Amino acid sequence: MDFTLNVTFYVYIAAIIAYVVREIWRTKTLRWVAFGVFSGALVLNTILVLTRWYEANHAPMSDKYESFVFFAWTIALVYLIMELVTIFIARVHESRLGIIGALQSLLSAWMLHSAINTDSTIKELPPALQSNWLVVHVINYFVSYSALSISFSAAIIYLIYRAIYRGRAQEIVMSGSNSQLRKDVTFDKLAYISVTIGFPFLTVGLITGSIWAKGAWGTYWGWDPKETWSLISWLVYLAYLHLPMILPKTKIKKTFAPILLSIVLLVAFPIVLFTFMGMHKLPTAVDSDHIYAE
Amino acid sequence: MTKTTKIEKKLWQFVCSVKLAVIIIIILAVACILGTLILQMRPPEDYVSRYGEGLAKLFSAIQFTDIFHSYWFAFLLVLLCVNLGCCTIKRWRNTVLQIGFLITHISIILTLIGCFIDLQFGEKGGVNVYEGKSVDYYLNRADYRKIPLDFQVYCDDFIIEKHPPKFRLVAFVKNKDLQKVIPVKVDKKINIPGSNYAVTVKDYYQDAEYRQEPINESNEPNNPAIYVQMLDSNHVTAEGWLLAKDRNWYNDSKRDLKVEYLWADNDEDYERLAKTVGKSANPKLDITIEGKNIHKSMPVEEGKSISIDGTDYVVEIKQLALDYANRASPLREQSLDNPAVSVEITGPQGVETRWTFSKYPDYWDKAHQAKYKDIKLTCSIPDDFSDAANRLKIVQNKGGKQTLSYLNDGNLISIIDWEIDKSYEIDETGLQMRIVKYFPSHSTKKEVVERSDNHEGHNHAPGEHAGTPAILVEIEGPRGRVADWMLANNPPKWYPDKNFALLYEQSGMVVKDYKSILRVVDGGKTVMTKTIEVNDPLKYKGYVFYQSSYDPEGEKYTGLQVTRNPGLAVVYSGFILLCVGVVFIFYVKPFLRRKLKKGQKVEDYYSDDEIAAEHIE
Repeated sequence: MDFTLNVTFYVYIAAIIAYVVREIWRTKTLRWVAFGVFSGALVLNTILVLTRWYEANHAPMSDKYESFVFFAWTIALVYLIMELVTIFIARVHESRLGIIGALQSLLSAWMLHSAINTDSTIKELPPALQSNWLVVHVINYFVSYSALSISFSAAIIYLIYRAIYRGRAQEIVMSGSNSQLRKDVTFDKLAYISVTIGFPFLTVGLITGSIWAKGAWGTYWGWDPKETWSLISWLVYLAYLHLPMILPKTKIKKTFAPILLSIVLLVAFPIVLFTFMGMHKLPTAVDSDHIYAE
Repeated sequence: MTKTTKIEKKLWQFVCSVKLAVIIIIILAVACILGTLILQMRPPEDYVSRYGEGLAKLFSAIQFTDIFHSYWFAFLLVLLCVNLGCCTIKRWRNTVLQIGFLITHISIILTLIGCFIDLQFGEKGGVNVYEGKSVDYYLNRADYRKIPLDFQVYCDDFIIEKHPPKFRLVAFVKNKDLQKVIPVKVDKKINIPGSNYAVTVKDYYQDAEYRQEPINESNEPNNPAIYVQMLDSNHVTAEGWLLAKDRNWYNDSKRDLKVEYLWADNDEDYERLAKTVGKSANPKLDITIEGKNIHKSMPVEEGKSISIDGTDYVVEIKQLALDYANRASPLREQSLDNPAVSVEITGPQGVETRWTFSKYPDYWDKAHQAKYKDIKLTCSIPDDFSDAANRLKIVQNKGGKQTLSYLNDGNLISIIDWEIDKSYEIDETGLQMRIVKYFPSHSTKKEVVERSDNHEGHNHAPGEHAGTPAILVEIEGPRGRVADWMLANNPPKWYPDKNFALLYEQSGMVVKDYKSILRVVDGGKTVMTKTIEVNDPLKYKGYVFYQSSYDPEGEKYTGLQVTRNPGLAVVYSGFILLCVGVVFIFYVKPFLRRKLKKGQKVEDYYSDDEIAAEHIE
């Protein structure tokens, strides 16, 4: 287990390198090398999740260690599906996903690194977690987090590109691509698409969590820190989705609007990560029964 | 157009606007963040000590101490509802593409209305039900008011299901601040990464215990001890070690006998020890008057009284009991179990009688209303205290003298030399005594052994059999190999360099589930029986009973949480609509748009807002 975990971690690191190399040289063969390395890491990660499921005898998403491994898995899965869709269905040149693959495998590697440093002993499920809602709730959240992480990466890349190609907006669209594109997608648009993929999952996760809390604790909303922060992340993405409607009516320049939206995403994803991992740092955390046991 | 209608129109537009919605969303998010950064619903002194006088005052003035139940937060939510409602009405264009927009906005209003109904008309509380008993009420959560139910809830049984315990072996490397869990696999050497230690589990007992074996270390009388047997017509009635320098007495309360083993350093000592009863510490009563700095101490002798200087109190000792539960029998027949002293205090407000317990000094004060609260009593009864008339003294000295003396009521009756393995009659008591072993330097060897007796058999409930495992570990490190047995849940084992330790302990959640078998009786008839557990409550007449706690001491009662949520259906329909709406907007609408309006320009069926919101170029 430990061995597979370490190997998976290094394969994710290899995937980061492969995506960076692919971004620099942009040859046809490299396209599939990077994709292949990342897929290999996903396969190893799948083995980790499945063996844990088998050994622990419960869905492997109940404690810190299991969540880290599972989150790494969904990050890789969601990204790779997205890459396949962009290549085969949306027919977008692979450079349109660009270096996002590197950032996504970096995130997966980070999660696995956290898992390596976490106590991995199998714990029995406490009574409150013995519910089918656990699986529905957690899967929804991790899928949404993974999609939202893509929007975060895309926002970073967009801002970097804007800084490099200052004022030459056309070049952002066409940079580096000489293939026949049916249509093109800029990174701010990609970020928006990722949010639209992740937001419904985020909503369903929030609501299933609430319904589960009703069954286990008798209250569907108790302003527990974790509940409150999951609401905060939901509200921030909600604001992001509504902002484009009001920006044209303000004095903000049209070219600045995507920058502003990217900045919102830059703030939003750390909030999501904080909701996932940072709850024990809050002063109000002492009253909560919702935080991963240390 | 007049000025007022212009303002009205502007106001209406603002109330309908997305701008207001975004502003409210942002304020709500900030409020939520504050609500987790600032402690909520604490007593006022907490805020003063944490944030200082000024900030604490400000926080309570602007209701930052209970943000989620504050008026301004409620106002924001109401405003959000109004905004959503107006916005939805204003923007509705009667097209299929807008279904998601309609549903999501209505769903949020519904959810908030449902929450409002629950807050206003819902009920929430808890009640403890003893096994075999019933309740027809519960206690309101906010003010512990008793709220009647028009039916009864019986708890027929409360069960805690447990997992079989799990154990883990943890290694610590002090200078690296490293902690690692090691799998317990026999004969597998495990190197601790980042250090030069290695651990091998050599053997494993599933169920083990410590066995203490007495040993003799030398012939010098460093810690003289004898193994004594008491016999009644050749049947051993009691046996055990007596250590001259440690626990050296045995009280037989049934026969009014005290046996002592004493070691004399010189002949003078010997004479005194062998031929007289000797002094042992006597019970003592300590009296403290609070607030006056008066401390008094008196020997516990029945009928003795003292008056406390500086006060009007007279304290009299009424009775000494060595075993409070057995206090009615004569003192000589009580074994030292729960010693207590009965005291009578006479003061300006009359007489007060108290028992004071040597082992539980606070007990009486907590359980009774004292007349004289400023008087605190404690008593100390020495462990070897005995009031026995018969004394058997086994005395030895360095010179090799070893005698057995029998005293009755302080008088020496007989004195004889003793030898190992010989039985001696104890005059008049009808008992015999035999000294089986003599260890001049008594010591004990602690050893882990496998428990062989099937003490519980195989007919135990799942999880009931809690054996304690033990492992034989070998540690390799800079100072060579060390091997030792470790019994689970004992202090950590340190490697000789004091930098590496192993801990073998129980881990993980032991409780599998809490279950209560509940029965609802309405109008004298059992209408429902259900085994509830966490995540599976009982529902009856709008009330829901959740398993929430239990009696931690005797597991005699179950703690139920009781709720009634009349708005739940509204909240849940809001939830479902929200999910459906969001999925429609982001997963259905984009495809619908392309399919329905092929060939048409986006501008023809999309509003400017939608084009902006959905990033359509």
